[in-house]
Amino acid sequence: MRHLRIVTTAPVEIERPEVEETEAPAPETPWVTVVWNDPVNLMSYVTYVFQAYFAYPKTKAEELMLDVHEKGKAVVSEGTREEMERDVEAMHSYGLWATLQKAGDLG
Amino acid sequence: MTASFHTAEVELLRSLVGQLLELVHDEPEAKESDDGWAAALGLADEDTPARPTDPVLLRLFPDGYNGDDESASDFRRFTERGLREAKAGTAATVLTSLATSEGMNPEERRPRDKTRVELNAEEADAWLRTLTDLRLALGTRLGISDDDEDEWANLSDDDPRRHIHDVYDWLGWLQETLVRTLSAGLP
Repeated sequence: MRHLRIVTTAPVEIERPEVEETEAPAPETPWVTVVWNDPVNLMSYVTYVFQAYFAYPKTKAEELMLDVHEKGKAVVSEGTREEMERDVEAMHSYGLWATLQKAGDLG
Repeated sequence: MTASFHTAEVELLRSLVGQLLELVHDEPEAKESDDGWAAALGLADEDTPARPTDPVLLRLFPDGYNGDDESASDFRRFTERGLREAKAGTAATVLTSLATSEGMNPEERRPRDKTRVELNAEEADAWLRTLTDLRLALGTRLGISDDDEDEWANLSDDDPRRHIHDVYDWLGWLQETLVRTLSAGLP
């Protein structure tokens, strides 16, 4: 049988590394699709496109349409740069005026 | 879904959609190369469509980026040809649905007074997009801006823009009707 020697030592102060306060950077900065107001497209049509393409419920689609109409622009989707390029291309295919940009660059 | 048109309206739509088809079907102008010797020799970069100088084309194929010419140019290289094909495709679908519409008198091969156009879901979508493209084209040529309805309503009879604006209005009414019908079918 082995004797287990119990050595008591003073509790050691373990220095914990400072936990980073800032969150780790996301793998990719989010990008957004912005739809801009134009004087030609019908309000009903813009709402329809938001419902048909993004599958947004009617209330959300209408809110976004009103933002476009009254504030001049609205962020309609968010994701990777590639996803936003797809969304912008789709908006252009519907005749809506859209651009993409980094999420942080919104003025 | 069924739409009913007068013969004159069918002819007008055919003519407008035919012109739109020609406009978007054209090969885009190539961008001038910005690459070393090619740029010095004024050669074109065949892969990259130039930013359109025609305001109608610029409205149909807008920049994908604001204030970033290089990204906008790349975006155009990857999307403009596809968008042109897509817009030409929907315009061609509209022309086909007009050509196969009921109301052509088989003996005289002339349209009767009234033409009925039957649209399935795919055709209705094509109509919606093409009516939009037509309105964008006419609206841009006319210089439509926000809250200028009164101005357009008060154009004198001999103003050449009057007829074009009437057509623009009619296309808007047509589209509103179509959107209302299609919206009713959404979840």
